[in-house]
Amino acid sequence: MARAIHWERNEDPVGIWEHRGKVVLAGAGHSKNTDRRWDGVSMDRTLGAYVVEAARAAMDDAGISPEDVDGIVTSAGGQPAHMSLGSQWGPLRPFFDAPYDSEDGLTYVTAEWIQKQMNLPNVQYMNSHGETVWNLIGLAAQVVGDGRCEVCLVPYPNGNIEGRYHQNPSLEARGGAQWSNPWGWGLSGQGFVFDQYARKYGTNHERMAPFVVQEHANGLLWPYSYYAQHEPGPFTTEDYLNGRWIARDLSIFDCDRPVQAGACYIVTTAERAKDMKQQPVYILDHTESAFTPRSLVQTLDDTESWTDIQAKRSYAGSGLRPEDIDVFAPYDGFAVFTQYFLEAFGWRGVKRGEAHDFCADDITLKGPNPINSGGGNMGTGRMRTVFITDPMEQLQGRAGDRQVDIKAEVAVTIGVLPSNAAALAFSTSPD
Amino acid sequence: MPRPIPVPDAISKPFWDACNERRLIVQVCTMCDRKQFPPEAECRECGWQFHLEWLETSGRGTIVGFSITYDSRIMAWQEEQPFNNAVVALEEDPEINFFSNLPGVPVGDVPVGATVEVDFIAVSDDQLIPEWKVVE
Amino acid sequence: MAILLSFDIDGTLELGDPPGGVTIDMVRKAIDLGFIVGSCSDRPLSSQRRMWASLDIEPDFVASKHQLGLVRAQFDDADAYYHMGDRDTDESAAKENDFGFWWHTEAELEPWLELVNSD
Ligand SMILES: [Zn+2]
Repeated sequence: MARAIHWERNEDPVGIWEHRGKVVLAGAGHSKNTDRRWDGVSMDRTLGAYVVEAARAAMDDAGISPEDVDGIVTSAGGQPAHMSLGSQWGPLRPFFDAPYDSEDGLTYVTAEWIQKQMNLPNVQYMNSHGETVWNLIGLAAQVVGDGRCEVCLVPYPNGNIEGRYHQNPSLEARGGAQWSNPWGWGLSGQGFVFDQYARKYGTNHERMAPFVVQEHANGLLWPYSYYAQHEPGPFTTEDYLNGRWIARDLSIFDCDRPVQAGACYIVTTAERAKDMKQQPVYILDHTESAFTPRSLVQTLDDTESWTDIQAKRSYAGSGLRPEDIDVFAPYDGFAVFTQYFLEAFGWRGVKRGEAHDFCADDITLKGPNPINSGGGNMGTGRMRTVFITDPMEQLQGRAGDRQVDIKAEVAVTIGVLPSNAAALAFSTSPD
Repeated sequence: MPRPIPVPDAISKPFWDACNERRLIVQVCTMCDRKQFPPEAECRECGWQFHLEWLETSGRGTIVGFSITYDSRIMAWQEEQPFNNAVVALEEDPEINFFSNLPGVPVGDVPVGATVEVDFIAVSDDQLIPEWKVVE
Repeated sequence: MAILLSFDIDGTLELGDPPGGVTIDMVRKAIDLGFIVGSCSDRPLSSQRRMWASLDIEPDFVASKHQLGLVRAQFDDADAYYHMGDRDTDESAAKENDFGFWWHTEAELEPWLELVNSD
């Protein structure tokens, strides 16, 4: 069932987006460091500090000044509402002096907090409800297209306080948990769907290795990747095959590593971007989808039908065909669901059940099929922002060592989950 | 092993009470003739609450797939690792699922496709929950 | 008497992330004393090998967290086996494979030295 939130394009038929090619990505910035966690001491490495650092970098990238910014659209905690990916800092631990006297700035970062810290004098539109980074860019593109603001700062925080998270000590299973926790059901959902996939198409978990290994190799070429900064050696097939199970068939090397980092984009109109520094990346479309399983579990059938609906919606909204897409970036956090997006979009003609064959062939950066040229979350850590930054840089021809050899004029990126997704289509041209 | 105990709410209480009587019930919308589990305040098809009733099921189903948990986030389960996580489809409506750890079935030896029958196990002094056993 | 020491890395060794209290000097001393020494961690095997190489140490083994049983099989003539780490997964891996277990906070005190002294 689709959620009816006004800005989203989630009701079929969506039709070609009314602002197709009139809104652009004009800049990107990242915090210099991508950390495993916050140490609770370094006030120059807080989530808020990283977001401000990223926002300044994005403004420099676009060549704009604080006076130019008239909108801030963010996702306070990187997730729906203000919920953070990791834990809260308080209430058991004391807060700090302003501006770190509440969770805002530490475990989530609102538009209001950013506006105040950055002294942006002309902001007239603020929204902190961008959810995950694909929805966030979609929301920003819509509000700029609708004229609510013209030069929009779009930060995406990714916070992590303690390293490992989501440990649940409760012996009481309330709400939705009453149907799952008494049986210890959790990440087993990922394993279950992959197991159904492997049975249906005669494949197995080991055949994920070429994809994950290639993502790590690509990620090492992105300077903001956690691995490029902290574990710069190659990740091998042997490494992947020796990963321990979290929930079969989900191994530890299918899980993205939580990190602390900030990123920011500049979304503006095509008209206004003419005066800015970078070659604009035109946004052709955004579409969204959200589904609930009929009963307790998301099955492979659900997964395939939901991703099919999202892919069809995306093509209908952008007017693209599968063969138009040069750069394709399907979300991989968890790696074991990436194939559902790839097969739904039919990039490079990949059909249901064919993803592992496809990835066993040449998916290198310099080959014909460089899927997730940015490295995805597996190659960069749980930032998600490489799914925006890399397609953008590929289209601008400034991806450096990651630059693909194929033509890079149209890109599609999709995330976050088969059950709750948004797709974005980018192009070097407004048409 | 102490495991998370379901805390019934207004909507789920009839289900958990029925478990204590060793009956497996699901919601049914008499308007849509559609079964619903987990229970909700309204029928997801027609949106009405007035036509929702409880229906006793056959208590039989089929194992449609499984996972094995090795590293749970639910701390109470961590000492039981690894353990089976099977998914059961209800005989009269295979789109309705239940979870099972298949007590007694060795880890990983889950017979996908096998018929199973509901059984109830105690998770506390006053709460039974549905479990499932393979029918020979 | 051959005693095998298996070190978790992150949260246990001083160069782990987060850093633990077991220093590389303690590890070197254990090697000098003739212990069988290696790492058993959630890090990829290649990453573990790179870590040891950067310290100029040749470990007797590297293993993923679920592979203590393979380590035991590889050194089946050792007299005693110990793993140390900072997580429940370390403790349960040790228990399942009949290794002695020290929490990272215990390991900082080099409890293995007593095993040779009492010899
Ligand atoms: Zn109904």
